[in-house]
Amino acid sequence: MSLMLLGILNSQAAGGGGSAYDLLETTTLTSSASSVTFSGLGAYSDYAHLQIRAVTKGAANNFGNSQIGITFNGDTSGYSRHTLQGDGSSVSSSGTANSNRVDVSDATAESNSSYAGVFGASIVDILDFSNTSKYTTVRALSGSIMQNKAITMNSGAWLDLAAVTSINLEAGNGDFVSGCRFSIFGLKGN
Amino acid sequence: MATPTYDLLASTTLTTSASSVTFSSIDQSYGDLILVTCAKALNTDDSWLAFNGDQSAGVWSRVRMIGDGSTTATASFSAQPVGYVLRDTTEFSVNIAHINDYSATDKHKTVLSRTNTANTDVRAYASRWGNTAAITSIKLDHDGSDYQVGSTFNLYGVAK
Repeated sequence: MSLMLLGILNSQAAGGGGSAYDLLETTTLTSSASSVTFSGLGAYSDYAHLQIRAVTKGAANNFGNSQIGITFNGDTSGYSRHTLQGDGSSVSSSGTANSNRVDVSDATAESNSSYAGVFGASIVDILDFSNTSKYTTVRALSGSIMQNKAITMNSGAWLDLAAVTSINLEAGNGDFVSGCRFSIFGLKGN
Repeated sequence: MATPTYDLLASTTLTTSASSVTFSSIDQSYGDLILVTCAKALNTDDSWLAFNGDQSAGVWSRVRMIGDGSTTATASFSAQPVGYVLRDTTEFSVNIAHINDYSATDKHKTVLSRTNTANTDVRAYASRWGNTAAITSIKLDHDGSDYQVGSTFNLYGVAK
């Protein structure tokens, strides 16, 4: 690694690393799948927060983007969620206090052949996931640039005090295709 | 087994103004890159990211969303490199850009970024470089002005 200012070599990379932000697991699909589940998360209760970083493409033959639906511990009720989206034409907001999941909107690029290499991206923070005195809160930044473009912020909550032990990520429109990557990280805290 | 990660790959703080900053020979062993900048210029124009020196037309596209305290706005662009904005000539603007699967050779490169200039607006961008090549260099360039002294540029690698 090198860094150049005005074309002149300026400084060398710094080394580093730490144990406050750790990669826990990664799944890279070698065949299509309708969902991906991280289970056994109770083993990571020494972390305060989780972060999921995903690069995803859906099998539906469209020019748009679709969501990833998140559920915890197999529970498909008792979620709230809100969305703020800009699509190049308008900024819009939507939400519901009674949902079957938390959405990460516009996270997944769809599969029109003219956009073969296009994947969407998302970064999802799951705060205090093992705390049994709080509802589990989620925030996400996601986007995808197909023919349709979108940048989206999401928030959500699982209205349950249980510690999160599993997270299911469900494709919104057609299966996740081969090559999609899902990485989950743990962040230390008090 | 947890794998420690989130490593600082390169860092600079400008002690003299510079028209551009380039990170080159980027380590290919990570999953994602996170570029954190706190910078200002002498105008309020756009800054650009370009990968592998590519600023050619037709391979870049992006969409943005803005809130300035009274209104919201969105717009999309084609044929322009990944953009963010330095919105104040006295206050530093903070930008965090996530470049996911940067070393993959089967994917276009999607960038999610947020830019904050506290006394003007907050912005979010999604951008795409329409090329499946692994990213080996990142150039930051500002329209019509140098980056000013005190501007910081930090590049991190996140394991996959």
